[in-house]
Amino acid sequence: MDSLRIPILKIGDILIASIQVALHDASAVQFKDDLLQKIHDTRAKGVIIDLTALDVVDSFIGRLIADITAMAGLMGTRVVLTGLQPAVAITLVELGLELPRVLTALNLEKGLIMMQRLTEESDDGSA
Amino acid sequence: MMGQLKTAVIRSDLDIVIARTMARDVAKALGFGAIDQARIATAVSELARNIFLYAGTGNVTVREIDKNARKGIEIVCEDQGPGITNIDLVMQDGYSTSRGMGMGLPGAKRLMDEFNIRSTENVGTTITCRKWRS
Repeated sequence: MDSLRIPILKIGDILIASIQVALHDASAVQFKDDLLQKIHDTRAKGVIIDLTALDVVDSFIGRLIADITAMAGLMGTRVVLTGLQPAVAITLVELGLELPRVLTALNLEKGLIMMQRLTEESDDGSA
Repeated sequence: MMGQLKTAVIRSDLDIVIARTMARDVAKALGFGAIDQARIATAVSELARNIFLYAGTGNVTVREIDKNARKGIEIVCEDQGPGITNIDLVMQDGYSTSRGMGMGLPGAKRLMDEFNIRSTENVGTTITCRKWRS
């Protein structure tokens, strides 16, 4: 069965993926693979994953996001997670998944500003 | 409507999403708020995934319950899988025999008000959990 593909958009040096539908496990794993390949192909400096539309983030998706952040980090790319609904933030912490190493922002707009700052810093660092 | 059952059969990872959507819809119809709906849907997601990962197939049943004029939701997850030999161990945070983070069962327990596991080796597992409307 074909899994659902999440579109990954490129704006400048940044990739943006907005997850609009509930992901089943196979499509979530497909998204991780697609995103890491796209980071490699586009040499993106940063990735924003927007979860505004999700009303459930369980431990599987939580772990996947932590994994994506770690893997993208190994490739030199920063990840910012945006748009977590209050109920999602509450259930993630109650589940025990606080995602301490994942950078977050309230919404996509604030995420873009954060990402701009992060990628500028990394430009300074490499200069 | 009282006590009406809704059942989802778990056979694939797609059914995990179907089961939690069903539980959320029932919780919403029973008057649970948005945050409790998310807690209930997330707990069902964890329990349904456990069925899929360890037993392969099973059922998730959701129904309305009523005690002392208090309304709630009861979720029963049943499988005929290998069973859980050491329930104390699987209820520990971080314990996992699969690809998970070991948050599934203890996490689901924290999201619900009542949580009970009955399991017999090579016979199966039944997890019953409840949440009461505040």
